[in-house]
Amino acid sequence: MGGRRPGGPERASKGAVRGDVHLWELLAAGACGYLRCVAMFRLQGSKVLAVDMTGDAVKAKNGSMVAYDGQMAFKKMSGGGEGLRGMVTRRLTGEQMTVMEVKGHGTCWFADRAAEINLVNLQGDKLYVESSNLLATDAGLRTGTSFTGLRGASQGNGLFTTTVEGHGQAAIVSDGPAVVLRVSPQYPLTVDPGAYVAHQGNLRQSFQSGVTFRTLMGEGGGEAFQIRFEGDGLVYVQPSERNTIAGEV
Amino acid sequence: MSTPYGTPGPGYGTPGGPAVFDPTTLPADDNVTPYTFCVELKGSQWFLQKGKMIAYYGSMEFNGIGHGRLDRLVRTSFHSPLHASDWVVAEGSGKMLLADRAFDVNSYDLEDGNLTIRSGNLLAFQPSLALKQSIVPGFLTLIGTGKFVAASNGPVVFMEPPIRVDPQALAGWADCPSPCHHYDHGYMTGVMGGLRALTGLGGASGEEHQFEFVGAGTVLLQSTETLMAEQATGAVPPDAGVPGSGAAHTGPSQVAGGQRLPGQLGDLQRRFGL
Repeated sequence: MGGRRPGGPERASKGAVRGDVHLWELLAAGACGYLRCVAMFRLQGSKVLAVDMTGDAVKAKNGSMVAYDGQMAFKKMSGGGEGLRGMVTRRLTGEQMTVMEVKGHGTCWFADRAAEINLVNLQGDKLYVESSNLLATDAGLRTGTSFTGLRGASQGNGLFTTTVEGHGQAAIVSDGPAVVLRVSPQYPLTVDPGAYVAHQGNLRQSFQSGVTFRTLMGEGGGEAFQIRFEGDGLVYVQPSERNTIAGEV
Repeated sequence: MSTPYGTPGPGYGTPGGPAVFDPTTLPADDNVTPYTFCVELKGSQWFLQKGKMIAYYGSMEFNGIGHGRLDRLVRTSFHSPLHASDWVVAEGSGKMLLADRAFDVNSYDLEDGNLTIRSGNLLAFQPSLALKQSIVPGFLTLIGTGKFVAASNGPVVFMEPPIRVDPQALAGWADCPSPCHHYDHGYMTGVMGGLRALTGLGGASGEEHQFEFVGAGTVLLQSTETLMAEQATGAVPPDAGVPGSGAAHTGPSQVAGGQRLPGQLGDLQRRFGL
């Protein structure tokens, strides 16, 4: 996989919301001749992801396909398609991801338990997301694992997280539509670990604990653990805290 | 179609992508999305239910209400001491996002008024409002002038009394219309009614019991009949004549005899001497 690589700015159009289902046909006929073609991600409603493909591939969470139109081949990728090293790393870190590669001509629709889907555009930067919140990525994006430290532990989903890197689009799921917050040097951001979904860009994160003797006495502020993001990038937060439906997400 | 709220700014994020917010583009005391509310603090204070803050810019402090420094504030605007541990006071300056389990959130302005709301629905309020336990078990009353934020399962609909509403759809009421129970006696009485009640045959439509509101005011309904998890409002003093003080605290949909199974219309034996 992954020989051909993506257009950054010269792409025909960005994967914005578009009504035209047959766009891929146009692309296949015209643009693809001289522009390098990339799978087109777009949202159909807020809970279904439609991907227009012209012979290229996307990686998606296993079993997340709900419908397709055209010719598609689905191939389970052991270890997320990261090779033997990636497979071993994922097994060791517990940050497991069952991924399939979808390749073909046509439109393929993906959804995951009616969760809200958010599109992320990557232009060479890195997206950090929990493997269970990652729905689909352009096949040309590299995925890997990274250590999160105390943040991961406070969210209750392990010490490791998934990274997505390269040029292209990815789709992440959240419980309720995610709010995208910009972090810049003059505006650092503090996030509740339960509402954190993903972040991208050049961010430093630090773990803040407000545990005092009051917390132990049951009179805490209820927001004892927080993650502070500093630097330059985007943070995705969901309007829900991971303990209800998202408890296992 | 997802609606973009606010305008995307420059830098990260691409045009056509999701709206990206920073402290200058976040609204002040308004909804960011139907599920997320932004509160602006300028050295002011807000009462919040624990764990409903999802993110903030600026510097803020969250203190449990038992905090000594906040005693005066609690005395003036918080009158249900027994569930104080579920609430925190946020103070500082910056912008803070509130959300509750991806339910719809909305803010309401009270001007020298009063509003009674189901305890599980209230998220946050300004200290210029006083929060009190309602006489109706499971409900809280806000009195005064100020803004509060409440969650609902589906958008909220405002209705004028006189109206009868489904108990599960009731979110609250403002300006004191009189709430009472209403039973569809035509359906429940008579030979057929008795048979239905005793045998469960013929079934119940599930709409034999409603809440009736009469008088001036507004009734707030949520657009589903799925209740939001109830928040404890604290016990009431065990005095005679205080509703909810005798038995264990029961839900808001309480009729004499407590919770009932579907198909069972009421204590008909007792009520009609059957």
